[in-house]
Amino acid sequence: MNKLFATIKKEILILSRDKAGLAMLFIMPVFLVLVMTLLQDSTFKQLDEKQLPVLIINHDADTFGLRILECMKSSKFFKITEIGNIGKQDLIQKIEKGDYLIGIFINENATKQIRQSIQVKIQGQFPDEVGQLFEYEDSLPGQARVEIFFDPILKSSYKQSILGSLKHFSAMVEARLMFDIYSGLFKDLLDIELRPAGNFDDIVHFDEKYASGGTNQIIPNSVQHNVPAWTIFAMFFIVIPLASNIIKERHSGVSARLLTIAGSKLTSNLGKGVTYFIVGFIQAILMLLIGFFILPLFGLPSLQIGGNVLALFVVTIAVVMAATTYGIAIGNIATTEQQSSIFGSISVVILAAIGGVWVPTFMMSDLMLDLSKTSPLNWGLNAYYDILLRNSGLIDLLPGIALLLGFSFVCMFLSFLYSKRGLN
Amino acid sequence: MGEKAIIEINKLVKHYKNADADAVDSMSLRIGQGEIYGLLGPNGAGKTTTISMLCGLLRPDSGDIIIDGLNLKTSADKIKSLIGVVPQDIAIYEELTAKENLGFFGKMYGLKNAEIKNISNSLLMRFRLGEKAGQRAKTFSGGMKRRLNLIAGIMHSPKILFLDEPTVGIDVQSKNVILEFLKEIKESGTTIVYTSHIMEEAEKLCSRISIMDRGKEIASGTPKDLLEKNTDCKNLEDIFLKLTGRKLRE
Repeated sequence: MNKLFATIKKEILILSRDKAGLAMLFIMPVFLVLVMTLLQDSTFKQLDEKQLPVLIINHDADTFGLRILECMKSSKFFKITEIGNIGKQDLIQKIEKGDYLIGIFINENATKQIRQSIQVKIQGQFPDEVGQLFEYEDSLPGQARVEIFFDPILKSSYKQSILGSLKHFSAMVEARLMFDIYSGLFKDLLDIELRPAGNFDDIVHFDEKYASGGTNQIIPNSVQHNVPAWTIFAMFFIVIPLASNIIKERHSGVSARLLTIAGSKLTSNLGKGVTYFIVGFIQAILMLLIGFFILPLFGLPSLQIGGNVLALFVVTIAVVMAATTYGIAIGNIATTEQQSSIFGSISVVILAAIGGVWVPTFMMSDLMLDLSKTSPLNWGLNAYYDILLRNSGLIDLLPGIALLLGFSFVCMFLSFLYSKRGLN
Repeated sequence: MGEKAIIEINKLVKHYKNADADAVDSMSLRIGQGEIYGLLGPNGAGKTTTISMLCGLLRPDSGDIIIDGLNLKTSADKIKSLIGVVPQDIAIYEELTAKENLGFFGKMYGLKNAEIKNISNSLLMRFRLGEKAGQRAKTFSGGMKRRLNLIAGIMHSPKILFLDEPTVGIDVQSKNVILEFLKEIKESGTTIVYTSHIMEEAEKLCSRISIMDRGKEIASGTPKDLLEKNTDCKNLEDIFLKLTGRKLRE
């Protein structure tokens, strides 16, 4: 035990004197979490707070045009500018210049066209002996037209958003017009005066809830997503100083000297592992504290850890073990510091990328999605999301924890194999 | 060799992967207790490989190593507790002070805190590093580092001490302090196995010598015996050049 404590003390002394290593272990992750959370938070909020500038040219001074305009203005997603007296080319020019991201051109007689289309359909429902119910204007084409122009820089998700809104508003107006026409028919054919129909948008209520277990409702936001993601990323960056430490020790001859002292090499490796395990754990606590106390200072919501503190503790242990043993494995396999730092950093970035740290896995192709399941960062990240977003318990997390511990075992086995390399 | 053999090696063979020849080829020798035994030879002769096998750093392909009556194959840990190793590399932590280095290695040898303190202070003073004890090793000169490297290998008072080129690349004063100390511990019964390129140093220090070349022992005996057998040579360096040739080695 004395040997182990001496090794831990020695490692802490060496680490505390390595300014660059300390910066990599503690300062870089802090900046990473701050910057990435703030960046992604603004992206998440863009639809909510930074309303999309939309120019509407309405040439339909009737129900459809006016109602669409009214609905769009009432939406919190769009900042509407209405100009009534310009043509389609002027609208296109304004979009091209970047004054607006979206332009909507509602053609004249749109309401009349919709009304006539509905009347045609209703007429088709009645038997021939009822005769002609409506008078049609022959000059009107079949369909009402609304033209939408997008700035090419606009993301596809925003296009879908505005198209969805327009279709929703249009459906509401069509329903209202249809109801008006049926009301007219009741009056004309049956002499019954119907009362006004009221709103058509409250027939179905969409109740939004997050699918997370337990009673503790955690609201997903950029903090809940980013703090665990970048915490895992930072913890895995332990690989670089740890592997470099092992290689330095080997190259200096200290490693060989320890091999000549009974029981010291194993203790030395264990001491390194324990020291960096403590470092990784401190990193995790530091990141969580940043989520609690620092991010709210930047106007972000505070991190919520839910009620499963034990699960959070166990998952953190499993992630730190995976990161530490991965570092020890690279330190034993690589022959030079350059090899270990290049391989260590690139492999962590790749594992993070395929693991869903950079891009959420739901946005990945099927192939990448399958690949993401091979990344230990993905196992850790999913386990954290299960705790922080889905309120899962320790039992639900066991498969992920088992994978992380299995990965640690494989890394330890490889380290053992490669550490014997010098003896042969 | 009059004394009881404390180190005995029989037909030791080591071949490195992809090498043309054996690094150590059927080497046998017996070293008595309290001897300073020199392994001399040009680069690539197999000195470091032999010492590495004796310390348990390398596994021999064949042959036996018996140290203090124990077979290295079956009693490696017991043997490791009897030996001290001073490698050719400066095997210390540059980021730690001299005292912190000795504190760490002392614990690895299983010494108690009080012992570490007393031994460190005494050896640091003995090797004229007392005033620099609190300074990081990376600020030391080459000679100071090599002295600290030696202290780290002897602080547990080993029965057998292996030294691989302990005086290479250092100033005369540092070399003198190291050699004087080795003579002192020899008198107290420590067996020393030592490799060197420096013939003059070996001639003065060693009780017996083996000259190795291409993995084999090509001559052995006391420096006096070797000079008597090679009457055409004035000193050990002449014998060395006569036996190993003047051609440059890789």
